[in-house]
Amino acid sequence: MATAVAAPAADTDRSGTRRSRRGGEPDQSGKLFNRLAATCVTLFALIWLVPFLWALITSLRPNEEIAANPTNPWGSNWNLDAYSYAWNSSPLGWWYVNSFIISSLTVVFTVVVCSMAAFALVNLNFRGKYVLFGLILAGLMVPVEALVLPQFLEFRAIGLLGTYWAVILPSVALPVALFVFHSFIKAIPVALIEAARLDGASWWRIYSQIAMPLSRPAISAVAILTFITSWNAFLWPLLVLTQTKSQTIPVGLSSLVGGSAIQYAETMASAVLGILPLLAVFLVLQRQIAQGVANTGIK
Amino acid sequence: MTATALPAPRTGVEVGDRAATAGRPPRSENRAGWLFATPFLALYLAFLIGPVVIGLLISLFNTTTVKAGIGSWVGFSNYADVLTNADFWASMWHSALFTLLTTPILVLLPLLFAVLVSRLARGQWFYRLAFFAPYVVPSAAVCLIFAFMYTPETGLITNAFGWFGLTAPDFFGSTSGAWFAVVLLTVWWTFGFNFILYTAAIQEISEEVYEAAALDGAGPWQQIRMITVPILRPTIGLVLILQVLSSLKVFDQIYILLTGGPNYTTRPVIQYIFDTGFSAYRGGYAAAATMVYFVVLVLVSVGWFLVRRRNNSANA
Amino acid sequence: MTQLSRRQFLAAGGSVSLAVALSGCSTPIGSSLTGAQPSTADVIFWHLFGGGDGENMATMIEAYRESSGTSVESSLLSWGNPFYTKLALSTSSGRPPDVTVAHLSRVPLLAQAELLEPVADQFAAAGITEDKFTPAAWEKATVDGTTYAVPIDTHPFVLYYNTELAQQAGLLDETGENLKPMRNSDDFVATLQAMKDSTGNEYAAVASITVDPSTCWRLFLMTYSGLAGPIVEDLGTRVTIDPAAMEESFAFLQGLTGDLGLMPRTATSTTSSTLFSNGEVGFLFDGVWQIPTYRDVEGLDFNVVPFPALLGPEPVAYADSHALVVPASPGRSAARTEDAVRFVKGLLDQSSTWADGGHVPAWLPVQESEEFLELQPQSNYTEAAFNAVYDPPGWYTGAGSDFQTAMGSVVASVLTGATDPAGGVDALTSSLQTFSTARPPV
Repeated sequence: MATAVAAPAADTDRSGTRRSRRGGEPDQSGKLFNRLAATCVTLFALIWLVPFLWALITSLRPNEEIAANPTNPWGSNWNLDAYSYAWNSSPLGWWYVNSFIISSLTVVFTVVVCSMAAFALVNLNFRGKYVLFGLILAGLMVPVEALVLPQFLEFRAIGLLGTYWAVILPSVALPVALFVFHSFIKAIPVALIEAARLDGASWWRIYSQIAMPLSRPAISAVAILTFITSWNAFLWPLLVLTQTKSQTIPVGLSSLVGGSAIQYAETMASAVLGILPLLAVFLVLQRQIAQGVANTGIK
Repeated sequence: MTATALPAPRTGVEVGDRAATAGRPPRSENRAGWLFATPFLALYLAFLIGPVVIGLLISLFNTTTVKAGIGSWVGFSNYADVLTNADFWASMWHSALFTLLTTPILVLLPLLFAVLVSRLARGQWFYRLAFFAPYVVPSAAVCLIFAFMYTPETGLITNAFGWFGLTAPDFFGSTSGAWFAVVLLTVWWTFGFNFILYTAAIQEISEEVYEAAALDGAGPWQQIRMITVPILRPTIGLVLILQVLSSLKVFDQIYILLTGGPNYTTRPVIQYIFDTGFSAYRGGYAAAATMVYFVVLVLVSVGWFLVRRRNNSANA
Repeated sequence: MTQLSRRQFLAAGGSVSLAVALSGCSTPIGSSLTGAQPSTADVIFWHLFGGGDGENMATMIEAYRESSGTSVESSLLSWGNPFYTKLALSTSSGRPPDVTVAHLSRVPLLAQAELLEPVADQFAAAGITEDKFTPAAWEKATVDGTTYAVPIDTHPFVLYYNTELAQQAGLLDETGENLKPMRNSDDFVATLQAMKDSTGNEYAAVASITVDPSTCWRLFLMTYSGLAGPIVEDLGTRVTIDPAAMEESFAFLQGLTGDLGLMPRTATSTTSSTLFSNGEVGFLFDGVWQIPTYRDVEGLDFNVVPFPALLGPEPVAYADSHALVVPASPGRSAARTEDAVRFVKGLLDQSSTWADGGHVPAWLPVQESEEFLELQPQSNYTEAAFNAVYDPPGWYTGAGSDFQTAMGSVVASVLTGATDPAGGVDALTSSLQTFSTARPPV
C-alpha cells in the first residue's frame, strides 16, 4: 500500500465532475496540441498493453509454432491446451485458495483493527493517547519490508511459521490505514456522536452504527489496497510459507521463472492465470481502486 | 510490492479532539479508549516495533537463523564485519543505483502523461486501464512475462531491438543488459501508481484557473508550465520520496528475474540479507546488515520530513 | 505459550474464518490455519531434477506408488541455493517435506544446523546399512559419527572420448573400446597430443571453461587432490592449502590450454558440446550427467572412463552424490517416518532406472547386479565412485554454492592464461579468506 495520509471525507466519487483540463475554448494551437497529446498518449498506452496481449497470445499458440515463428502472433491453431497443462502441472488451485484466504483475512482484520484504533484516537479521551499517537506516527517511517530477518526469528520463536497467521498478523496494524480512517472519522460531526452518547449509546454502538457506516469510502479504500498489497506480497510469504501447496500465487509462480525453456505456452498460461483474478477485480472496480490509491497516497 | 509509509507533514493529522477537555478523562471512557486501541497497539508493538528491537538484539549475537536459540554474545563484531564487507557495500550500491536509474523516469514520465491525459476529453478510462493495470499484477507474473520477452533470439523485446537496427544487449548475461531489463520491467510495472497520484492531484486544480489563463491568451504549453506544474509541486515531492523509498527497497523483480546476477552484479541489499541470513543461516550477521540498512532508510525518511517542514514553515 | 494452547488459539482463530468450512485435516488449508503437520499425501517429497533425471525420478516414484499403495506428493524445485534455502526455511518452520534430495556436499552444513534426522536406526531396520553403499559416499553422508543421508548415486567428473577418433589415433587397446592405460600426467598429455596429431584438429580436448566456474572447479580439485588433502578443514574455518601442490596443479592445467595447445582457452558449454559432438575434439572433460545429452547425438560414437592418475600416484575423481534425507520435524508422526523410510528403500531398489541418467548407483545390490554391469558406459567408471573426492566439508561449500563460483572463477583465470600459476595460488588463497574468516553460522 502506499503512503501517507488521507483525504477528507468529502472527497468521494468525483466521476460526475470529470472534465478535461483544456480551459475555455481552445484556439487553433490548443487543438493541435491536444491532438498531438492524444496521439502520443494513445500510442504509449497501446505499448503498455503489449506485455498482456503477448502473454495471452503466446499462451494460446502451440509451442512448435512459437519456436518456428517467435514474433509472428498470427496462427490458425490457437487452443487452450497450455492452460489445462499449466493447471495440472502445478497446484495453482491451492495457490489461489491460499492467496484468497490470506488476503481476505488480512483485509477483515486490517479494517476492523485500524478503524477501531482510529475511532478511539478521534473520539475517546484516554490516558496516554498522545504518546500512542506519536508512536504510531513514527511507525510510518519504519520500513517493515527491510526487517524480514528479525521478523522471521520472532515468528520462529512464537511457533507460527508455516501458517497463514505468519503472513496475516504482521500486516494488520498498518499506520497508513489507521490514518485514513482517522481523517474520515474526524470529519464526522461531533454533535452526532454527542447526541448518541446522550441517548445512552455505548461506545461500541457508536463505532459500529455511526462511525463505520459514515466511513464507507475509507473502508473501501483500505480494503482494496490491503487486498492488492496482500495478494501481491512476495518476500515474506516466500520465507514463511514453504510447503508447495500452502504457497500464495506470487511465490508459486516465481518458482516457474527460469524453469522449462521450451514450454513457452505453458509458462505464459501460468502467468495469465496468475494475473487473472486480480485483473478481473481491477476491471470491475477500476474507479474505486484508482480513487483508493489517490485517497491514501496524496495530501 | 513497494509499500511505503511516510508521514506527510502539513496534513490535517493531529489528534482529533472531540473531548479535549482538561483534566483526567472519565474512567469508563479511559477504559473504552484502551479497549478500542489495544488490538492495534498489540499487533503494532509485536510486529512493527518488535522486529526492530529483535533485530538490534540479534545483531549482537552469533545467531543461526534456522537453529533454535540466540547463540553467543559477540558484541559489535557483526557490525564491524558488515561495515568492512565489500559485498555488503556492493549490494548497497546496487540498491542505490537502481534508485538512481528508476526514480527520474518514474517521477517525470508519469507526470508528463498525467498532464497530457488530463487535457483529453475522452477515453480517460482507457488510459487508466492501460497504465494502471500492471500495478495489480504480481511481481512473479510480471517477471514470467518479461523473462519470456527478453529471451535471446526469440523474445519480443530482443527482436524489437532488431526492428530499429540495434542489437539487443545480453539481458541475463551482462550487467548493463540486466540493469536495462530490470529498469524497463519496473517502469512498466509501477508507472501506473504514480500516474494515478498525479491524475488525482490534477483533478483538484480548479477549472477557473485554466479559464482565466486561457483568457489571458496562455497556450496549452504555457498553462502546463505556469499553472499545472507549479500547483503540483507538493505532489511531485511526495511522489519523489515515495519512489526513492520504494526503489531503495527493491527485491522482487531483481531476485525473481536475475537472482541478483550475473555474478551478483545487480544484487540489491535485501537480497544480500536474504542470502547471508537465510541461505547461509548467518542470522546475527544479517541482522547487523539489516540494522545498517534500516538506519539508512530511516535517515532518508527523516531527512525528507525535515526538508518538508522547513519548506512549509518558510511558505507559511 | 505452550504448544497446546497455541494450537487451540489458532484453531479458534481459524474457525472464525470462512475457510474452515473448506478445510479438513488433509488439506493444506487446515494445516495452514491450525499449524498442524501437513499431510496432503503419505509421503511429501522434494527433489531438484529437471530433464531426463526428472523423468527417471517420476518413473521411479510412479512405480513405487503402484507397488506400495502409498501416495507420494512430489515437487520439483529450482536447483541450487534457492532449493537449499527453502529446505532450511521449511525445516525451521517445523513443516518440512518427509523426504528430500540433497547433495552430499551440502549435508555437513544441513546436519550441523540440526536440520536433518539421523538415518541410522530406523533405516538399518529396513535393511539400509553401511555395508550396502559405496564407502566414499556413505562416509560423506556421515557427520561427526552420525549418518544423516542415504546416498543414491555418485556422479563423478569424467573423461569422455570419441571412440572413432581414438581408434584412428591408436589410443585404444585390443578390445577396440577402451583406452590404453595411462599412469600419470605424462601419459595423459601424450595421449592428448596423439589425438591432436592424428586428427590434425586445432585441439585434442575441451572443457567448458567460460562462464562455468563449477566445471573449472571440478577440474582443478580433481587435479589438486592427487597431490594434497582438503583445502579447508574444521568446517571451513581453517585454510589448509598446500601452495606447492596448488601451483603444480595450476601449472599442469595451464599447460593444457597454453603452451601445449591441447585445449581451447575459451569455451562455453555450448562450444564444448558442439566441438565434441562434431568430432572436432576427441576428448571432453565433463560430468557423467551429460551422457544422456551425447547419447542422442547421431553419428557420435563415444565412451566414458574415469580420469587416470595425473599428478599424484593414485587416480582421483571429483564427484558429488545425490542423497535422500529426512528433514528434522518434531511433529512428524511415527507412521509418517515409517512411510518415509519405505519410500527411500523403494527408490534405492530402483537405482538401475536412476543409473540411466549416467549416475553410478551408490546402492551396492544394484551396482553389483548383472543389469547394471551390462549398462554401458555407466559400468566403466564405477571405480570413480570409490576414488571420489568431494568438496571439502564446510559451511559454505557444496553444489551450487558461492564458494564453487568464487574458486572456479580463479581457476578460470588461470586456464585462460590471465593469471600465472603462482598468481593463481595467491588469488585463490585470498578469495578463500572471505569465506574462512567469516564467522560460521554453525
